[in-house]
Amino acid sequence: MKKSLFILLCVLLPLGLAFAADDLVNGKFATTKSITVEVYDRSNDGGSKPEDNFYTDFIKAGMLRDHNVAVTFKRVPRWTEVQQINNLLAANDAPDVCVTYDMPTVNTYAKMGGVLDMASYLDKYKKSLPNLFALLGDRNVYWEKDPTTGTVYAIDALLFHNNRTSVLVREDWLKKLGLKEPSTLVEFEAMLKAFKANASLLLGKDADKMIPFSIGVDVGWRADILTTSFVPDKITDKDMWINGFDDRRLLWPNYKQGIRVLNKWYNDGLIWKDFPLYPRGDKTEDNLMKAGYVGAMIHNWDYPYRDGEQGIAAQIKKLQGPDAAYIAVEGFKNDAGVYRKYLSPPVDRKVFFPATNKEPVASLLYLDWLSTLANRKFLQIGEPGVTHELQADGSVKTIAAKGEKIMNSGFDIDYTIVINGLDLGKQDLNAKSLAMGYAGVDKRYIEKSYATQRNQSRITANFNVGIIGAEEGMGPALQEKRDNLLVQSIVAKSADFDKVFDSGMKDYLSSGGQAIIDERKAKYSQFFK
Amino acid sequence: MNSALSKALRGNRHGIRNYLRRYWTLYLLLLLPMAYFFVFKYIPMAYCQIAFKKFSLVKSVWEMPWAANNGMEYFIKAFANRDFIYALKNTVMLNLLDLIAGFPAPIVLALVLNELRFKALKRLTQTVAYMPHFLSWVIIGGLALQLLADNTGLVNNALAGAGIKRVPFLSESAHWVATYVSLGIWQSIGWNTILYLAAITGINPELYEAAAIDGAGRLRRIWHVTLPGIRSTIVVLFILALGNILQSNFDRPYVLTNALVIGVSNVIATFVYTAGIRGLQFSMTTAVGLFQSVICVGFLFAADRLAKRFGERGVV
Repeated sequence: MKKSLFILLCVLLPLGLAFAADDLVNGKFATTKSITVEVYDRSNDGGSKPEDNFYTDFIKAGMLRDHNVAVTFKRVPRWTEVQQINNLLAANDAPDVCVTYDMPTVNTYAKMGGVLDMASYLDKYKKSLPNLFALLGDRNVYWEKDPTTGTVYAIDALLFHNNRTSVLVREDWLKKLGLKEPSTLVEFEAMLKAFKANASLLLGKDADKMIPFSIGVDVGWRADILTTSFVPDKITDKDMWINGFDDRRLLWPNYKQGIRVLNKWYNDGLIWKDFPLYPRGDKTEDNLMKAGYVGAMIHNWDYPYRDGEQGIAAQIKKLQGPDAAYIAVEGFKNDAGVYRKYLSPPVDRKVFFPATNKEPVASLLYLDWLSTLANRKFLQIGEPGVTHELQADGSVKTIAAKGEKIMNSGFDIDYTIVINGLDLGKQDLNAKSLAMGYAGVDKRYIEKSYATQRNQSRITANFNVGIIGAEEGMGPALQEKRDNLLVQSIVAKSADFDKVFDSGMKDYLSSGGQAIIDERKAKYSQFFK
Repeated sequence: MNSALSKALRGNRHGIRNYLRRYWTLYLLLLLPMAYFFVFKYIPMAYCQIAFKKFSLVKSVWEMPWAANNGMEYFIKAFANRDFIYALKNTVMLNLLDLIAGFPAPIVLALVLNELRFKALKRLTQTVAYMPHFLSWVIIGGLALQLLADNTGLVNNALAGAGIKRVPFLSESAHWVATYVSLGIWQSIGWNTILYLAAITGINPELYEAAAIDGAGRLRRIWHVTLPGIRSTIVVLFILALGNILQSNFDRPYVLTNALVIGVSNVIATFVYTAGIRGLQFSMTTAVGLFQSVICVGFLFAADRLAKRFGERGVV
């Protein structure tokens, strides 16, 4: 403790002196400062250099003009970002502004003295950072603030659309069978049975390939709306949070009953038989959807509508006729008769400064610059006629650009590290633009899925109690246990369901799950009574 | 050279000087590989300490504080972890099966190949058999899924078409183990025959001729000439294989596993990956790795001793 304080002092003191001597004048430094900024490298086909292109030039010119700060980008491979940032931090070679989705990594390094505490800078320079505070609010800026020590090791970017999942069914199959959209669990199950019974009518010679309901090994995510419909509507924020370590809500009350339904469906032959064999990210299931064999699923709200010509919506039309499409429905009411969905709080990536950052103020000004509406808007939509078409009402339709102005990530999310999701400054324009963002898909489907997945939603509570020791390093192991236990429960014989689920749950709890719940409970009563 | 050295050592100081003057270039050549082993294999061993220390990325390994319980904290933690115990059991089980089924397989294949009359056929068979060695396990895992999946796999579809019950190759524990071992043999059998075939070439052909004159048939010749001729190769390879009894390669179980067979497919390497590396528990990971190595070295020495007792040269 003493030692880390000493190190902290050693780092902060000279920095403090430096900034006392060389202060800002109207948000601009007298001498040019330089910072390095992390940018994800997605290695897209035909993409541009992520650290040097049209958009980085825009940022560099802007930062130099507005704040006299020279920006250099440093690329980090997107899909191994955690490992990469680990290596860079370990080698004292991390960029001044780092970004990651993984807060445990930041905390681990913070504990070892590898991450800068932003708290004092945020307090001192709040007035110089109006755009950052306006966009993120104190809520996101101080999301990670430790309630005991007051340290802020990372700022949470804004998740502008905190979207989750929808229940999606084949609209054309409903029509063919003369069924109306299901609105209860009973109707939904009847619909699945009807799909199976009429396989020859719906799929012809491929009848044996019929999959009434599809799911993947990430059962928690892919059954979310069904399982949470069994959670009592009266669940308190406190209970939600204490049992909220698992982001798939495994520990919430009555979760098991939702899985029991899936177990029944599986044994009734309504679920894709081979789903346990295919790992996350495998494309087999997508191909089954594209081929038109899948009747219903729960998935990311826009999943079938993505990827234009290569996407599910386009392919299914090609193979199964122009009417073939997935439409979002409300399938499952909870005990209060409400179609409750639980959405995540609006937090996204974590932006942090490693201890090697010599320019924390310039780095914060960088975040402020990105938060300015005009700047982030340009980064998100680019130039009219190149990356978007401006509509009469002010909404925009994105165009896939080629060449030097291509965006390597949708809405340049990799540069706009303070926000995830298109924001044109006005809510109605955002919704309209979003619906137009899916090339070749009737916007009726987009609008319905978007509206459905947030209908009667509730945002899960967050209580900031600082670092929870029992959670450290437990994420991956427990996540794997959760996936295994859920998959095994679904494919178990009906008579064995309780045994399989309960023993899996016992293992989960005794392998660290219970310790996490206990610590959360204790911390909650310590800080919130 | 051995005799030159012993002669030099037996002689006076003059002899050694003469010996070195003559052979110093050879010793110079040896420096490079020695330096390689020193820099890349021995210096990193300092980091074995991590197993006994509280890991910190910003401190040097010498400055890290000792872990609790006299530095044994992470060993205690690992052995208290049920998943580690399962992983240990599974590793031993899968490796023993690999040894029992996979070790004799290339010997048999080598003997068979050696008996083939047509040189062209022999060469073709050999090439075809060792091709899979060059496929990574990720590819084999993909092939296995396409071929062996319960309801969509080619093999099972063929079985169902022929009116035979589908076989849960990948989704039921016992079947999965069989699939795992078979795929291992398929991948490595051809490659592992190379050493045996080379050893067989070294057998004096006169022995065969003499045996033939004495009236020994094919099987007799294999039994009394070929096998004894490659015995020392077999023993050396067996010792090395026993040294690997606790080593588990990562990609093979990792790509073949799924949620339904995790009870038998979770091995030390995959445990280290999920619990240790992904969970950032480097000290525990190192502890497990160190434990694994110590046991392996133990097995290696034991097997070597055993071999020497049976009159073989051994490897140590």
